[in-house]
Amino acid sequence: MMKHTRLIGCALALLALAALLPSTSSAVPVFARKYGFTCTMCHTAFPQLNDFGSRYRDNGYQLPGREGEERTVLEGPAPLAMRTSAGYTYTTFENVLDGEEVSQFQLNGLDLLSAGLLGAGIGYLAVYTPEIAAMRGTEGQTGSLEMASVVFSNLASPWLSLRVGRFEPAYVAASVKRRLTFSPYEIYEYAGGGIAFSETQSGIELSGRGGAFRYAAGYVDGAESNNADDGPGDAYARAAMVFGPGEGQTVGQRVGIVGYFGKARPMVLTPEDEDCRRSFQRFGVDVSLNFAQVHFAGQYLLGRDDREFWHFEEDADFSGGFAEVNYAPLVSLIGFARYDWVSGPEEIDTDITRITAGLRYYFVDQLAAHLEYSKWEKEWTVDSEEEFVAARLDFAF
Amino acid sequence: MKSVLVLVLLLVLVVLPVPNRPPGAEGQFLANTQLGPPPIPADNPQTDAKIRLGQALYFDPRLSADNTISCATCHDPKTAWANHNPTDTGIGGQVGDRNSGTILDSAHMKFQFWDGRAASLEEQALGPIHNPIEMGETLENVVRKLEAIPWYRDMFFTVFGTGVTTDGIAKAIAAFERIVVSGPSPYDRYLAGDREAMGPAAVRGLRLFNGKGHCTPCHSGPAFSDQSFHNLGVGMDSAHPDLGREKHTGDPLDRGKFKTPGLRNVALTGPYLHDGSEATLMEVIELYNRGGVPNSDLDPLMLPLSFTSREKQDLVAFLEALTGTLPAIEAPPLPPGAQALPKGGGR
Repeated sequence: MMKHTRLIGCALALLALAALLPSTSSAVPVFARKYGFTCTMCHTAFPQLNDFGSRYRDNGYQLPGREGEERTVLEGPAPLAMRTSAGYTYTTFENVLDGEEVSQFQLNGLDLLSAGLLGAGIGYLAVYTPEIAAMRGTEGQTGSLEMASVVFSNLASPWLSLRVGRFEPAYVAASVKRRLTFSPYEIYEYAGGGIAFSETQSGIELSGRGGAFRYAAGYVDGAESNNADDGPGDAYARAAMVFGPGEGQTVGQRVGIVGYFGKARPMVLTPEDEDCRRSFQRFGVDVSLNFAQVHFAGQYLLGRDDREFWHFEEDADFSGGFAEVNYAPLVSLIGFARYDWVSGPEEIDTDITRITAGLRYYFVDQLAAHLEYSKWEKEWTVDSEEEFVAARLDFAF
Repeated sequence: MKSVLVLVLLLVLVVLPVPNRPPGAEGQFLANTQLGPPPIPADNPQTDAKIRLGQALYFDPRLSADNTISCATCHDPKTAWANHNPTDTGIGGQVGDRNSGTILDSAHMKFQFWDGRAASLEEQALGPIHNPIEMGETLENVVRKLEAIPWYRDMFFTVFGTGVTTDGIAKAIAAFERIVVSGPSPYDRYLAGDREAMGPAAVRGLRLFNGKGHCTPCHSGPAFSDQSFHNLGVGMDSAHPDLGREKHTGDPLDRGKFKTPGLRNVALTGPYLHDGSEATLMEVIELYNRGGVPNSDLDPLMLPLSFTSREKQDLVAFLEALTGTLPAIEAPPLPPGAQALPKGGGR
């Protein structure tokens, strides 16, 4: 960890230098460019949405109350944007992989985005992640069409909107795609089989709102768990109540519940096997609480997987969640900390924890210096751990 | 890798040609030009004589039933063409229920009155005359009174080729109000490239205005108004709330909605909101910071803002930077005639 100290010192110096730079901005991506808004109209600190941004997204990328008055993608500036993150990460491992430390520059998370209105009440969002080959110690990324969906908003009333295509499903209480940290939500990644909650999904999703009530329900193909193309078969539903004004993102308070019922093909079974799909379920509760500039979010998930996923005698039960707090004393500065945990199935007696803390300083709305520390630990037959310190620039234009 | 670079380069070429403007100065909402000349309706062209006639009418209290209230009583040039009372006092000491607002730059507004019941300055001009709480006069009496004053008789003939008519009164007052416009503000000079025109607090305030403050979706364009109507909840928690635009349209969807006022010269025109219930800009910002007043018809754009103290001060600094130069117009001598009263009228 000696190198950590040096790296943190360098990163702090970078942040101090950043504070001396002018903090004004002009061009900002897609929606901001369309309206001439700055990023903070919709983001507390990009990429995390605030309540205004949340309502905007839920309203099919139209300003609430302005439906039918807005320019479509053909009438405004080119609906294109890019987001990426470049920087340096130092990682140490203990009983994980072969090496004990990896030190590398990274250019990953390069996303090409297009979004806008196709017509009144019809919006779309597409995110393409190009493949980048790893080279000379620099981490690359796998290419994919992460998202491409069309949303028909307010069909007859705010009680019903329809999203079709590939999208980030509403069952994730905390958006994986718009999280502040580089470290993942452990419980969203944990799976003996079936889906990782962090995956985008292809399918349809109905959503709506009335008063303080919000809901979403979807029928999807199961994302990466459905490699054998068995056809769609996963369903989920989420309901939430918002107390006080706002959406519970950065103002007001929100509680939610979620259930996911899926089927997937355990690795040991071959695609030719008849009726080889096995079921798995997730149930969770989540809260989002806000007190002035302090935001707290937490989720607790219970998972049950068919025994075939884990090669157990009985079905496997596990649980986990996260508790996250962030504090934005200034528009240009946000600090965050999160604790993740997973209690694995009794049969394997595995516990995973992760602590993460960091800062983001925004030189301008669309360029942030990001400093993050994260430590992951797994208690099993042989305990293992991973720590990383990342100093990166996260930017969009 | 090569294809990625090509893609990124293409993207840069498509996206980057954005003019070098100050923050938030481009796009669909926040205009990048100062207020231009107001639109002139084809059926009421501006002429010097008509403006002069309109000016005389604007300041003449004989348009009211008891000859005490003129347009200038509530829209006084000495107080930025507004007045500083929460709501206005009309004839007989009667107190109205809405704030008078300013005439400054009203020619740039699509709708007049807080509920937008007048679609033009011409329509608006006659409203207060026959409003029983404001000037309380019948239009017939006004015509009769003005016909008895030779100067008005001559001017109406010169301008319209007719005697005194209500249509002529409306057109003349509207023509005069179209010259009551403000000049460039520090904000306009800042947008024009003078980076010293606004101080650091106002520049930070501009970013908040166009970002975290969520102001621009409604306060947009050169006049800082979307020319529409919104429910902020003000007064909706009272036993008998003012239903605003719904009173005019009869549409329940318009309940509690009032016109988005322009923000130019807003620092001079307090108190604020349709009922004048907020005395200062800081109080208005506090209202928005709370997310308005909860009610079942609250505008979906209204959300609490979590402003810090400094952010509120920055926003006030920006709003103060919207103060432009004011037109140098004074009350003319009253045309002599029947029931002539001292210049400028009175209460």
